[in-house]
Amino acid sequence: MEGLGKRYSSDGPAALSGVTFDVAEGELLALVGPSGCGKTTLLRIMCGLLAPSAGSVLLDGRPVVRPSSDIALVFQDYGRSLFPWLDVLRNVTFALGRNGLSRAERRTRAESALREVGLDGVGSKYPWQLSGGMQQRVAIARALVSRPDVVFLDEPFASVDALTRAELQDVLLAVHSTTEHRRVTIVHVTHDVDEAVYLADRVLVLTPSPGAVAASIEVGLSRPRTQTATRSSPGFLALRNELHDVIAEGRR
Amino acid sequence: MSLTRLRGTLLGVLVFAAALAVWDVWPRGEWAAFYFPGVDHIGRTAWDVWPSSDFLRAVGASLTRLALGYTLGSLAGIAVGLAMGASSRARSTLGPTTEFLRAVPVIAVLPIAIVLLGDGDAMRVGIIAFGVFFPVLVAAVGGVRAVPPEIRDTAALFRLGGVERAVRVYLPSALPAIFAGLRTALSIGLVLVVISEFTGRGDGLGVAIWNWQSVSAVPEMYAGILFLGLLGYVLNVLFLVLERRVLAWHYGAIGERTR
Repeated sequence: MEGLGKRYSSDGPAALSGVTFDVAEGELLALVGPSGCGKTTLLRIMCGLLAPSAGSVLLDGRPVVRPSSDIALVFQDYGRSLFPWLDVLRNVTFALGRNGLSRAERRTRAESALREVGLDGVGSKYPWQLSGGMQQRVAIARALVSRPDVVFLDEPFASVDALTRAELQDVLLAVHSTTEHRRVTIVHVTHDVDEAVYLADRVLVLTPSPGAVAASIEVGLSRPRTQTATRSSPGFLALRNELHDVIAEGRR
Repeated sequence: MSLTRLRGTLLGVLVFAAALAVWDVWPRGEWAAFYFPGVDHIGRTAWDVWPSSDFLRAVGASLTRLALGYTLGSLAGIAVGLAMGASSRARSTLGPTTEFLRAVPVIAVLPIAIVLLGDGDAMRVGIIAFGVFFPVLVAAVGGVRAVPPEIRDTAALFRLGGVERAVRVYLPSALPAIFAGLRTALSIGLVLVVISEFTGRGDGLGVAIWNWQSVSAVPEMYAGILFLGLLGYVLNVLFLVLERRVLAWHYGAIGERTR
């Protein structure tokens, strides 16, 4: 399957070095690593926001050198990425800006995107009127509404409480399993090993300074996944332990 | 209005009334009595002068010039401010020049303005625009530079071109800061409209005050000054009402954050 291929070496004072990996279409790939391992730098390079000092990022064989409509990004700090001067619906339709759709069509698309993330009828509210979890759902809806090929998430659930985090994880999984979004490739950066195993098809472990790929581990757990059954399964525990070992190994 | 607000306003009015009372009862000799007439004398003169058609026409002329100069200066300040805020190259290119011009006291520019634009409306509007431009510029640059990186990245990810990014993203994001600059600029503009009219020619509130001063029509002069103070106060109140409307989203957002 045609997907993403990345190959690059150092960036700046060797934040990343020789990072090479592929992502398949429709795959949910988790990137795990401690802070300072260059996760955010890697993410920005993959989005086209930053140029690598060496190597390249390829999407469907084409190099990624600038942001494109095929790529979307969800930030950790939803409070600072949603536009505070627009209501929720307009925040989502903003992402459809130049698609050549009529205003009514943009509205409908945005409303259905909001419904997909479990937000119905909040379109006329402003972001600050919503809870953190709901704001992040808006951010996810905004990322998905333009039907990108790849969605990157930068520690998206790190700024919410644990209960909301579990909720949002399931929202993400639910959305990814729908027919419209099944073929969207998701690259999910997180520092939470359990979250990575819970969500992903495959987990990459990054080691710090300079950032490099330490391991690529397949997650063979069955879908649909649940917070209760999946997380207590022996397969889950084995995988998370393996990951913790790899990370500890990398720290040495 | 809540009780606490009412009490606060009442206190403010009381302080103002007390100041007037002090003015009135302060002992004066003959010279002082002429140049510092009592409150009731000023009040009676104001009562006669303010509604007169000459006076109202003069006020209208000043307000028109203020509106023109303010609009010109603000639009220019916002446009240049957006450009300089968004681009470090623009900042380094235009920075030294704007900083230098900003340091020059506007009043000192008056003679140059007269030479360049004559002693008419063009000069006055020009002076006002010049004075309004800089506080708005500084506020706009600061506002744009304070745009959170996530919003900048989002705008980049939406592949917005430079101008579209500046107008659709940076401008609204920086609007609270820009409004602060606009409020300062309003006070400056009002001062300048009067000062530019102190050359005495033509019509306007400043011309009227200046002429009264030069013929020693002292109560009339005070009446003019009093009107000027009230005008400034009213303009400020109107501005705040407008700001509350336009920036409702901002006040909501920071209100939530400080809960």
